[in-house]
Formats: sequence, C-alpha cells, structure tokens
Amino acid sequence: MNILRAILLLIFFITPIKANTIYNIIKIPKLEIYQINTKNKLKYFYATAPFRLGTQKNIVCSNPNKKDLEIKYKTIYKNLSRYSYNYLKKINLKYIVMCENLSISGLYTAGIPDNIMKTLILDIKFNENYFERVIHHEVFHIMYLQHKEIFNNEEWIKFNNPKFKYAECSTCTNDIGLEKYENTKGFFTEYSKSTAPEDMAEVYSHMIHLKKYEINLIRKIDPILNSKISYIEDKIKQIDNSFIF
Amino acid sequence: MIKKIKASTSEKIILIFLILLGVVTIGLYIVLKNECLFVKSFDPKNINFKNPNNVAILNAPCGNVIIELYPEISPNGVERIKTLIRSNAYEDIAFHRVIKNKFIQAGDLEFGKKGILDYGKIGTGKSGLGTIKSEVDNNFNYTKGSVGLARTFKNDTEDSQFFIILQDEPLFEGEYTPVGKVLYGLEVLKKIKNHRHNEYILRPDFINSFKMLINKQ
Repeated sequence: MNILRAILLLIFFITPIKANTIYNIIKIPKLEIYQINTKNKLKYFYATAPFRLGTQKNIVCSNPNKKDLEIKYKTIYKNLSRYSYNYLKKINLKYIVMCENLSISGLYTAGIPDNIMKTLILDIKFNENYFERVIHHEVFHIMYLQHKEIFNNEEWIKFNNPKFKYAECSTCTNDIGLEKYENTKGFFTEYSKSTAPEDMAEVYSHMIHLKKYEINLIRKIDPILNSKISYIEDKIKQIDNSFIF
Repeated sequence: MIKKIKASTSEKIILIFLILLGVVTIGLYIVLKNECLFVKSFDPKNINFKNPNNVAILNAPCGNVIIELYPEISPNGVERIKTLIRSNAYEDIAFHRVIKNKFIQAGDLEFGKKGILDYGKIGTGKSGLGTIKSEVDNNFNYTKGSVGLARTFKNDTEDSQFFIILQDEPLFEGEYTPVGKVLYGLEVLKKIKNHRHNEYILRPDFINSFKMLINKQ
C-alpha cells in the first residue's frame, strides 16, 4: 500500500501542470476547439479521446472520427443557428460538445444538458432519422433546467386524459420510440409518454422541427396537443418575447 | 639554500582556468539568484497615457505592471477594482494561482494576505463588499495581458479576485468580466513565482502595491 502511495506521489510530482482552458471552463476533459467564431457565439468542441464524467464517472463518450464530425457539425450548426445569442444567453447555453456513443450509466442517449456549465453534450452517432430534432429536444432540457420556475409539471399533466400516467422516470420505461405517431392522441411520440419534461421536450422539438402548416394541422385535429403547443409557446415567450417558432 | 621553483606554463594555464571558473561561477550565481535582473520595470512618470484616470500601477516583486482599466466595457467591474485599489486593499495580497506563461490570479483579500495566508481556503475569500453582476455582453478580445475578474462557476459572483492572462484566451470572451489590459510590464508578471506541478502556489509572491496613477476619488 505504501509503495502504491509512493508511486502515486511520484507521478504527482513529476507530472507538470497543463493549463487546459476548456477543462477549466466546462470541466470536461480531452476536448479541443472545433469552431468558436459563430454568429450566435456558440462554441463547438469535440472529443479528442474517450472521456468519463460525473462523480460516479457514469457518463461516457468517445472521440468521433473526423469525417463524421465534419458532416454532423454542419447539421448541428444549421439547427442551432436558428437560436439568437440573446435567446441562448437567456437559456444558458454556450458550449456544444460533440462526441460519439454517449451513454449515462450504460444507457445510450442523444444528449446530456448541463445548464450550470452552459454545456450540451451531443452524440453525433445518434439515430440519423431523429438527429436534427433531438438537438432541439436537448435544447429544451437546458431551457427547462434553467427556468424551472416557469415550467410546471402539474399544470402540464392536466392536459392529458385523466386516466393517463407518465412513467416514474425517463429511463423507467421501454417505450422510448422517437417515431412521430400518425395518430397523435395527445403525444407526438412514444417517448413523450415517459415523463412530463420529456413530453414537453418532444412537443418543443416538433414545434421547431416540423413545418408551420404541419403544426397548424396537428393543432386542429388534436386538442390535447393544441393545448400543449400553446403552453410551450406561452412559456417560451416568457423567456424570450422575440423568439419565433 | 632554497631554490625558487618556477611554475611551468601548463601550471599557469590551470591556475588561470581555475580563477576564470571561479569568476564565472560567482557571476552565474548572481545572475540566477536575481530573477529580476533582466526585467525592465516601467516608471509611469516617464510615460504619457491617453486616459490617465484609468491607469493603475501594480507593483510586483520584479517591478511595475501598468494596467489600463476599461470602464466603458465593464463599468461595475472597473468601479469595484478602483474602489479596492483606492483603499489599498490589494497590498500584500498573494498571487495565489499561477500557471507559467499562461495565467496569474490574485486578489483574495480574506485568505491571501501576507502573514495570515490560509492555504486551505485561498481562492475562496471575499472582500466584504459583496458580489457584483458579470459584465460579459460587450465584445472584448481576451488577448495576452487582458485583465478580468475571477468568479465561481456561477455568473454574478465577481468580487475582488482578478486574473491576468499571459497568452491569448479566446474562450474567455463572454465568460469573464474584462476590466482592462496590461500596457507595460508583462515580463514582470512572467517572473511571478509558479510551480511546475501545481497552479496553487506554496509560499507565493505578493502584490507590493496597487495604486491608481491619479489618486482622485
């Protein structure tokens, strides 16, 4: 044991400090700048090696290959460019981390939002069919975390059929389909039925992703979704009155 | 009768070599011991400033660092720094966090004071004036020599601690409240005590004085 301690101390004393500005700012290791000169001042980083995060080190993500990164960056950039600097500032989003095979406690996920560190980690290898939409889903989570006082789960639950119950948590269900229902009946996707915040994020992401006429059509035929869409619209206006869907 | 023995040529050469070696050793010792030997210290009296009301002089172990403050960019941040400078609050305060050629942080008035330095808490101290709001909306290029206010992970927690960067840090823009830029004396800052293995410094250097060029209230 003493030898082990001595070795650890030796490593500590012979390892020079390396000032890593990105790590100092967002506390994620092994990142490099991809693009920082953007109109809305979002800063894009990418993983140069696999990294682990969290007190339990249960958040894991790998470094992407350059070609994938090049393609996916364009998609991410295009989608996030619709948010203004002022909007991003209000929701506390500034840094985008791009990596591959992102998981939390062994469960793969599209993104991990952290409003405190102003960071959104995105898995660039996430299902191609939903990739663009889930970017906005994760943006909503940042906003929700930043403005918890605005979003009220109890109010939201009342929009649903009284017999409906959400799952205990977003990972407590196997119903995690992201395909948009043909017949919505109050929910855009299967995953919407997991929890109220996930349902809100699904509504928000569809409001951003779908065409205006598609949303209007849904509003006409689905009164529950109509109420949910109005709720999200109202809350977003409270955060940033200038935001246009 | 004792015969005088003349030194041979080779013995003379060895003697001269030993004397030279001694001189060089003493010379090198003096040079290495005095880390400030080749550092130019600027005298603000010999310099004309555009905005003398916003010039502050920080005196560190190797000389003066002349800083221009930017109240038009961060009015509250600069006001806080000026208030603390005018009350001599920064005197004998440690440069407690130093990364060689990159970054210097000082200004912990509570735990960084010479004589009552608290290594366990340094970097967490307060000024007693309360925190101020972050001012990060104005464009500011964090180039070498920029001075900013330090904060915790959260915005609006700036107080008395400040940092000076010794290399360009574009990611600091919009992250930290900028308060000014070093006009003269970056070399002085590069000589501030640092450790190769740790950014928090044991037995750190201290600010000798930090004053406004024109000391009006």
